[in-house]
Amino acid sequence: MSFRTFILSLSTSFGVAWLAIIVIPYYKMRSLEPVLVEDGDGTNAVYIPKRAGRIADGAEVYAANGCYQCHSQVVRPTYAGNDMFRPDWGGIAGDEERGDTRRETNAFDFEGEKFAHIGVARLGSDLSNLARRVEAIYAKGDDPEKWLYTHLYNPRLKPERRESTCPSFRFLFKVTAVKGNPSADSLPFPVEEGMEVTLTSDARALVSYLLSLKKDQPVPSSLNFSPPSLATP
Amino acid sequence: MLSEVSQNLEQDAVLRASIDRSLRHPVMFFLTSGAAWLAISIILGVISSAKVHTPGFLDGFGFLTYGRTQAAHLNALIYGWGFQAAFGVVVWMLSRLSRQECRAAGLILTAGHIWNLGVSVGILGILAGYGTGMPWMEFPSFCWPIILLSYFAIVVWSMVQFKVRPEGHVYISQWYLIAAIIWFPWVFITANVLLHVMPGNPVMAAGINAWFKSSIIFLFFTPVALGTAFYLVPKVSGRPIHSYSLAQFGFWALAVIMPWAGMQKLTGAPIPYFMPYLGATATIMFFIPAFSAAVNILRTAIADPEVVNNSPTLRFTMAGIIGLIIMAVAAVLLNIPGKSLELSQFSMSGYGFEILSLYGFFSFVMFGAIYFIVPRITRREWLSRRFIKWHFFLSTYGVALIAIVAIFGGIQQGIGQEAFNQPWSEAAQRALPYSILITFAWCFILLSNIFFFMHLTVMWLRLGRRSSHPTLLTSSHHGSPHGDDGDIDNAGSITVSAH
Repeated sequence: MSFRTFILSLSTSFGVAWLAIIVIPYYKMRSLEPVLVEDGDGTNAVYIPKRAGRIADGAEVYAANGCYQCHSQVVRPTYAGNDMFRPDWGGIAGDEERGDTRRETNAFDFEGEKFAHIGVARLGSDLSNLARRVEAIYAKGDDPEKWLYTHLYNPRLKPERRESTCPSFRFLFKVTAVKGNPSADSLPFPVEEGMEVTLTSDARALVSYLLSLKKDQPVPSSLNFSPPSLATP
Repeated sequence: MLSEVSQNLEQDAVLRASIDRSLRHPVMFFLTSGAAWLAISIILGVISSAKVHTPGFLDGFGFLTYGRTQAAHLNALIYGWGFQAAFGVVVWMLSRLSRQECRAAGLILTAGHIWNLGVSVGILGILAGYGTGMPWMEFPSFCWPIILLSYFAIVVWSMVQFKVRPEGHVYISQWYLIAAIIWFPWVFITANVLLHVMPGNPVMAAGINAWFKSSIIFLFFTPVALGTAFYLVPKVSGRPIHSYSLAQFGFWALAVIMPWAGMQKLTGAPIPYFMPYLGATATIMFFIPAFSAAVNILRTAIADPEVVNNSPTLRFTMAGIIGLIIMAVAAVLLNIPGKSLELSQFSMSGYGFEILSLYGFFSFVMFGAIYFIVPRITRREWLSRRFIKWHFFLSTYGVALIAIVAIFGGIQQGIGQEAFNQPWSEAAQRALPYSILITFAWCFILLSNIFFFMHLTVMWLRLGRRSSHPTLLTSSHHGSPHGDDGDIDNAGSITVSAH
């Protein structure tokens, strides 16, 4: 076999796969056609979640601190796993207003993000609908932002979370001197007299991002693949 | 006639010695700085593994948070150690196989320093909080052009040597190594350009990232290790390859199947349905190229078990090939859609598989090659048989523990994740006992590589034994633990090596 044939065969064997699973799908998925919400779906608008400003900054904090090493952001359809059956992953099974909001992740859920943090492992829970969980369950009747700040500062503070292995993100907070009245967003953690725990811009951005994680909005019926037992009433 | 043969042999030996001499500095640079990165990576591995079960360990420092140390650990292992070990071995081996002295040693050495600069900036960037969040591509986005350009400056000379080599047979190692040299930039440019320069759909970007990870393992580290094994085993045992056509079949099976692998990591994510299934199928089919190469290499070596046992090179290489067999079995067991894929997709099994392939297979073959190459280019023999043995045993036990614990622990973890009626904390806690064992295993590997690093540094300083007897692992009761004393051989490798 000559060198030329070798290179040609090598390029063909690699190039076919390269075109078929990388270049063409990437090109075709570059601009997804917007899916129109039909009349019967209850709302009427083009379905596109919004992600900009501080939320986009927060995605970068999420990426830089390696949250994706332990947390996934995909609710797999039932053929690929049991994620849909968990009562608070794909949505909230008993949402007070909308009933069962659970659904699988679709391609539009990541619109406006640079990279979909599908995740490496699930040492922690799936975060696709973290904001829903915080609002409806963890911080029910309380301020969800405050709950997330406290959780990031010390994930093992609450007795029911003593076993959590999530790292503390204390380094996203700063201890500053109290000037006049304490800041409105200071956290109730014990520090020296005259000092308080306040937020860095990274902490604010990260929490904005985490509170944007609500991937259970109603979808057009053409995108709704939830099994009948889970379908929204 | 006889004198002609011996004259040829002598010319051959002179040529080999001059090739070795021409490459001494770049190869030793790649191997020693690679070993230093390996040590850094292992230390980061111990830290991040400890954080999985003891979250309070070194807690509260931004640069030591788990997400950053884990990323830095794997990137240092891949770009710091893996690629540099591969460069050292590939550059040397392709020179030998093309029978050409290297005329660009200075350039390669400079490019090697630039590569190291790129990796250092990248690792510091990750630890400082500028990581991109794309697994195995976490270096801040300005690093990849530095890495790519220095890569070309390092390997292009091997391609030139191959083009101008004396006519003759192209050996199977050359196929594997040249293919790896071509595949890597193709994969690397594709992934980096699409993800950093031409942003597209974010889910497809994650798919490309998964394909990138898989391709780095199957289309760079695997062919480099196989090419090296196909060189070392016949060289040390003095036997031709068991079946040359099987070797060719294995190569083309790798080339045809493995570019399709990788996207099974995104099963259930919103990308076209066929892609995860293709990825799973291709990864399962890895057993075809893996077994054909492994059987071939084992059949070649096993003819003389004594040699395998005594030669550090062969012992490490054979352990690497056994690592390859386990890796191929794991690729089948972990990726069956509908059965095991959903258990392994988001569990420690993935990490176990990566460490098995990067350390249990690739690094072991590289260690074998290093024990072969370094005495030839420094013209000194390894100082201590005990150091080599400790390196071997501690590494073997360490990586076996990580692979077994992470792969089976990952399956257990996956079963917990799928038990949707149980609260999530049940699943999360299943990982703890396994991660404690993984921390222990990394400590073993750290210890083993302290011996390796010291030994290599001594060789680099040319403080090795001046002897024409290679350091073998035979345990004789009355011999020196440092091997036989031999004739001090100032003529160096002119004498035809028996090793």
